[in-house]
Amino acid sequence: MKAIDIIHAEHRALGAVLQAFGFILDEVRDGRLKPDFTLLEAMIEYITEVPDKLHHPKEDEVLFVALRARLPQAGALIDKLQHDHAEGNRHIAELRDTLRRYREEGPEGFRTFEATARAYIANSWSHVALEERELLPLARKGLSEGEWANIDAAFEANKDPWSGPTGEFRSLFTRIVSMVPAPHGLGPSAGSDT
Amino acid sequence: MPELLTLENVWAGYGDAVVLEDISLTLGEGDSLSLLGRNGMGKTTLFSTLMGAARHRSGAIRFAGRDLTRVPAHARAHSGLGWVPQERDIFPSLTVEENLTVVATRGPWTLQRVYEMFPRLKERRGNMGNQLSGGEQQMLAMGRALMLNPRLLLLDEPMEGLAPLIVQELMTIIQRLTEDSGMAIILVEQHARQILPLTRQALVLERGKAVYRGDSETLLNDRALLDGWLGVVAH
Repeated sequence: MKAIDIIHAEHRALGAVLQAFGFILDEVRDGRLKPDFTLLEAMIEYITEVPDKLHHPKEDEVLFVALRARLPQAGALIDKLQHDHAEGNRHIAELRDTLRRYREEGPEGFRTFEATARAYIANSWSHVALEERELLPLARKGLSEGEWANIDAAFEANKDPWSGPTGEFRSLFTRIVSMVPAPHGLGPSAGSDT
Repeated sequence: MPELLTLENVWAGYGDAVVLEDISLTLGEGDSLSLLGRNGMGKTTLFSTLMGAARHRSGAIRFAGRDLTRVPAHARAHSGLGWVPQERDIFPSLTVEENLTVVATRGPWTLQRVYEMFPRLKERRGNMGNQLSGGEQQMLAMGRALMLNPRLLLLDEPMEGLAPLIVQELMTIIQRLTEDSGMAIILVEQHARQILPLTRQALVLERGKAVYRGDSETLLNDRALLDGWLGVVAH
């Protein structure tokens, strides 16, 4: 079941950025960090583009199709997850719009941006939890070895799952790590002069 | 794959206490192995035995064609073994660059190549070891081990205590090392599912004994084995 390992690996990478995003929001809200819009844009690009371009298509086109065919009782759960995927575009636009307004308006724009960002983070975690706690256990039990072999082959076609076709998302991830202040990343910690 | 490291029926421990019982393994040049087990099962003791820091009681250890048990502990680092201990072992009073160059030996791993692998260390090259964050210290510890130009790199829980963002970044670097460096690597970690995809072989220790020795992929795909030996860490 390599497909499940790939999904878990992608969730871990996404989760790492979501966690760091929450940390940045905390630090800015509490006045320990000045907003770094380059970093915020990079994080938003990662948490929106990677799921949308790499993660969700594999689920929608391969795993969910096999599950619907084999386990009709999983239909409602898959509907909910696919609704989340579809809603993603609206939330992304909202997130980008509130960031743009924050940049233009200054500190007055932070509260709206923070609320939108925290809602996005919470929705992302709920979605990941639903997949890991409900969908994947169902799939693990319900699909046959032959079905898993086909799903694994389709997932493995993209050997390095979260790098992107030309490694662009791996580079983006490294850039984020270098900008996020320690201890979450490798950037200078808030208030550090080193 | 030419043979690099062989352990045959090795027993080892500390003082009179036996920690490792009858361990055998073979690792080829450029090969990679995940060393797994719950806390206190003997993983770090295996590294300590290779480095001469634990008491070797019996059994053969051959490394690069030599009987490693006859190499004094202080000479093992220069015999081709690069150890990155959990404690990271960097000099706080030296700069990043000094930490790297002070251990340098001739070989493919130069300062420039280490900086290419860890661009952050290049940015911080003038900073003292004690001015680094935990993630930077771990990178420096790995960079120091690479500057020794080892044939076998021993990584002892390199992700321990680091934030998820840095863990992901280190995993990428370790994957590059296992795939492209030509150097053999033994990797100790708690999180089996995360590291098994990075290595070709796996060894699981339970109370000092090997309970699994084989392909990483076979172990990764056997949920019952993983759950039985490694419990929640395998999920």
